[in-house]
Amino acid sequence: MTLTQAPPAVVATNLTKVYGHGDAEVHALRGVNVTFATGAFTAIMGPSGSGKSTLMHCLAGLDTATSGTVHIGDVELTGLTDRQLTLLRRERIGFVFQAFNLLPTLTAEQNIRLPLDISARQADQVLLDRVIDTVGLRDRLAHRPTELSGGQQQRVAMARALISKPQVIFADEPTGNLDSRSGAEILSFLRTSVRELGQTIVMVTHDPVAAAYADRVVFLRDGELITEIAAPTPQSVLDTLVKLEA
Amino acid sequence: MLRTAVAGLRAHRLRLLLTSLAIMLGVGFIAGTFVLNDTIQAGFSQRVTADAGKVDVAVLPKDPDGVLSEKIVERIRAVEGVTEAQGLIREPAPLVGKDGKVVGSVPTTAVSIVRGPLDRTAIVSGSGPGTDDQAAVLDENTAKAQKFQIGDTITVLDGKQAEHRFKLVGLLDPGVDQQLAYTGVVGFTTATAQRMTGAKGYREIDVAGQAAGLKQAVAAAAGGGAVVKTGDELAADLADAAGFEMRTLTVGLLMFGAVAMMVAALVIYNTFGILVAQRTREMALLRCIGATRGQVFGSIVLESVVVGLVASAFGLVIGYGLAALALAVLGAFDVQLPTDAAVTLAPATIAIGLAVGLVVTVCAALLPARSATRVRPVAALRTQVAEQTYRTGVMRWVFAVLFLLAGMGTTGFGVWGMPPGEPPTLIVVMAGGALTFLAVLILGPVLVKPLSAAVGWIPARLFGVPGRLAVDNSARNPTRAATTTVALTIGVTLMTLISVLSASTRVTVWTKLDEQFPVDYMLATQGREGGVPRSVAEGLRGKPELASVLQVRKTPTKVDGRSYDIGTYRGAVTPEVVSGAMAGLSAGEVALLDYAAKELGVTVGDTVRARTDLAGTVPLRVVAVLNGTNSTLPALTVGEQPFDTYFDRLPDSVVMINIRDGVPAEQTRAMVEAAIAAHPTVQLASSTEIRGQFDETLDMLFMIITGLLGLAILISLLGIANTLSLSVHERTRESALLRALGLTRPQLRRMLSIEALVLGLIGALVGVVLGGVFGWAAVMAMLDGAVLSVPVPQIVLFVVLSGAAGVLAAVLPARRAARASIVGALATG
Repeated sequence: MTLTQAPPAVVATNLTKVYGHGDAEVHALRGVNVTFATGAFTAIMGPSGSGKSTLMHCLAGLDTATSGTVHIGDVELTGLTDRQLTLLRRERIGFVFQAFNLLPTLTAEQNIRLPLDISARQADQVLLDRVIDTVGLRDRLAHRPTELSGGQQQRVAMARALISKPQVIFADEPTGNLDSRSGAEILSFLRTSVRELGQTIVMVTHDPVAAAYADRVVFLRDGELITEIAAPTPQSVLDTLVKLEA
Repeated sequence: MLRTAVAGLRAHRLRLLLTSLAIMLGVGFIAGTFVLNDTIQAGFSQRVTADAGKVDVAVLPKDPDGVLSEKIVERIRAVEGVTEAQGLIREPAPLVGKDGKVVGSVPTTAVSIVRGPLDRTAIVSGSGPGTDDQAAVLDENTAKAQKFQIGDTITVLDGKQAEHRFKLVGLLDPGVDQQLAYTGVVGFTTATAQRMTGAKGYREIDVAGQAAGLKQAVAAAAGGGAVVKTGDELAADLADAAGFEMRTLTVGLLMFGAVAMMVAALVIYNTFGILVAQRTREMALLRCIGATRGQVFGSIVLESVVVGLVASAFGLVIGYGLAALALAVLGAFDVQLPTDAAVTLAPATIAIGLAVGLVVTVCAALLPARSATRVRPVAALRTQVAEQTYRTGVMRWVFAVLFLLAGMGTTGFGVWGMPPGEPPTLIVVMAGGALTFLAVLILGPVLVKPLSAAVGWIPARLFGVPGRLAVDNSARNPTRAATTTVALTIGVTLMTLISVLSASTRVTVWTKLDEQFPVDYMLATQGREGGVPRSVAEGLRGKPELASVLQVRKTPTKVDGRSYDIGTYRGAVTPEVVSGAMAGLSAGEVALLDYAAKELGVTVGDTVRARTDLAGTVPLRVVAVLNGTNSTLPALTVGEQPFDTYFDRLPDSVVMINIRDGVPAEQTRAMVEAAIAAHPTVQLASSTEIRGQFDETLDMLFMIITGLLGLAILISLLGIANTLSLSVHERTRESALLRALGLTRPQLRRMLSIEALVLGLIGALVGVVLGGVFGWAAVMAMLDGAVLSVPVPQIVLFVVLSGAAGVLAAVLPARRAARASIVGALATG
């Protein structure tokens, strides 16, 4: 765990999210308070329907919370317009999704550069080279997503998330569709980018092995933050989960 | 399976709406055309039936130009059972307008108005002439155009051009008679009509009477030179003749309807294709749970049957409305068509409308339905549907090349190997065009990628990421993009073709006009009958303001058994001499136009024998052969003095006048008008006026055709909108990803607009190229001595408008895409 004096990357306060009305009302989040430190790799865990994806969507400005506040760095998300949120995502947030991460019409390199192109920024060539080498894709740059394996596709997505030096990367089940070897590779890359590039990563997962790669794991159940463990191992994560289910 | 098909329709109602709209418009147009035709034909029938009900038997001359004598009328009156028989006169008698000139380019027709039960004239105001030989009636339109009112005195010329004055006592409606409506009518008593026209007999004898076998008895009395009809037969023939133009118009309109349906078929084909592709998993699931291939096929076909029927039914309603609207507009514009019959949707129209809509829809859905049967059950288990990669098959190339060669070959043969101006040539060229179009249709998917790269070059650079992604997306599914754009291509091709054709026709006719009419003014009589008195030209000849005055006299004659015009000229003329020499023609000499020389099989030095009025048949030695194209001279030209000895002193047929350079046109015009003021039948024409009239007609025609093609374009735009919205639906997750990565809503909208722009431009460009090439081919095939003119600004406008229309078509799909929630889109699938 890296201890720094830097302010936290993401802070959520009293976050609630309610879907539907009346009888159909579903409380996806019930007053979640959580802080994600800069330069840390945090995993969000919980059983299906615990609200972990909703939490991530609200933190990343993809969805708006019913009440409560979210800060990304010094910016408060509450009350931002769609355009402001879009620009915030563009400048400060990176994403790695479970599937369908890449645009099928673009080559791997074009996909990696996409966030920079969208915001019309010049690529930092040194960073670009370093990222490409870190994920080991130099000989695959001209390929289109359909010509890449699932693991390679996720590595392209990783590289894309890293290239814009975002304040935080949100990864939603990044290994969900991969075999265990490719999955392990991706998780190592995530950890490496935290250790070596000082990146902040928040990962949603339901896999204890994946969660064990993180510095810290927070557990969600029925929309509430139940507990958290630092320096997790697969076993400690599993034990906590079993306790939660009980 | 029925339940699945219906459920499928319910689920995709919105998506199928645009498709239905395409069919609705097509069927609406076709049904509307039929309704319009039916209504107008019904109007004709109603009128003639009412008219002809008064006549029991009508006698007409067998020869359409012949007449029936008074003796025949008397013989018919003597037939047992005949209560009354009246001859009708119908001969030209020019009405003189308030400007002292005869009205119109052809003389008005004088008709006799009988009294009693056989009177079929529809007097709409005032009264008929009755027994007053000094009274006359006019048709409403002529009276209105010439500003004559009941009570005015009107002037009509008799056969010898002498003026006679009459009191205008009433106005009549010429009814369904298209010829009378065209020439205008002046009605007199039978005696006056006879006196004014010098008619040698009647054009029709109407008979009233009640006796069995009346028709046979009258026929026996009328003799062999007449055709006898019952009143009903007469009515049927009149309605038929009156409706002829409307039927031609109907066929023309139906051709545009066919184009619209073809475009609609492409749109339907594409929509079903995309829907099937999107429902791959659904189809696979059906197969998993035991549906056979036939059942899957059947469910898609059933869907198309329902769509086709429902859309066609709405189309019929639209057609009914369109026809009612067209009739209202026609009625408001005083068109010479009966627009007052009840608008009816005939069972035949309903049947045809439904059948056309249904057949087109189902046929267009057959291929997509077949591809649905190819979905393997295992596809249901795959989470992600793989992006289709498109490969060009060898067969596609083979067929495309074959069609292209056949098309080009046929067109080339039509253009270079066949005589221009003949209908078969045009048909051959158009068949070549159709074959080439098929080649383009087959090659479409191959062409899309390079074309989108070329067309998208600027947008991709101008609009950054959205631009680049849009250009990539436009060619992402080449088959789909090709079908979408081809629909637009059809409309743009035809528009360009028409525009090249009309521009070329204009230029060609102008050029011919300049050659044929190399003069400032031309004097001739109305309908080229009678002549311009020689004194007119002789009075003008000495004027210093005029550069030249050319008089041409001619009259029909027989030369070695063939009919030709023989004539002479006075003044300066420079014919193009092919062989021989034409320095003054003395007695017994003749100059022949080349075609006459060829037909008579003579050359310079040979002799032809021409019949004359005064000198019997005279031998004429050929001294020159002249180029007959655009010649102002008649087929045979003899010297001026000899012509007078052959044919007495005939008046001039035409006088051509050129103004001296620098003299103001108004001044000479007034002078020439003064010279002909005393001769009401002599009319003045100038090349600018002829050109202006021609331009007006051509512009009108072009506007109408463009308007009608607009329907096909509209349907193809629906196709673009449809394809885009289906693509947007398909790419929901992709759009969500882009939005998550920081693409703003306006950027996403712009991306789709650019994609539509690129599709529109591709369709337009292919259309412009095809339309240009086949416009050229059509010009070569239709016009002899064609001058090609490509209206570049107009064609550029087509391309720009197509692009803009594409962007317009993208508005709704783009809004929907931009509005979608990111989280929701990411979660689906």
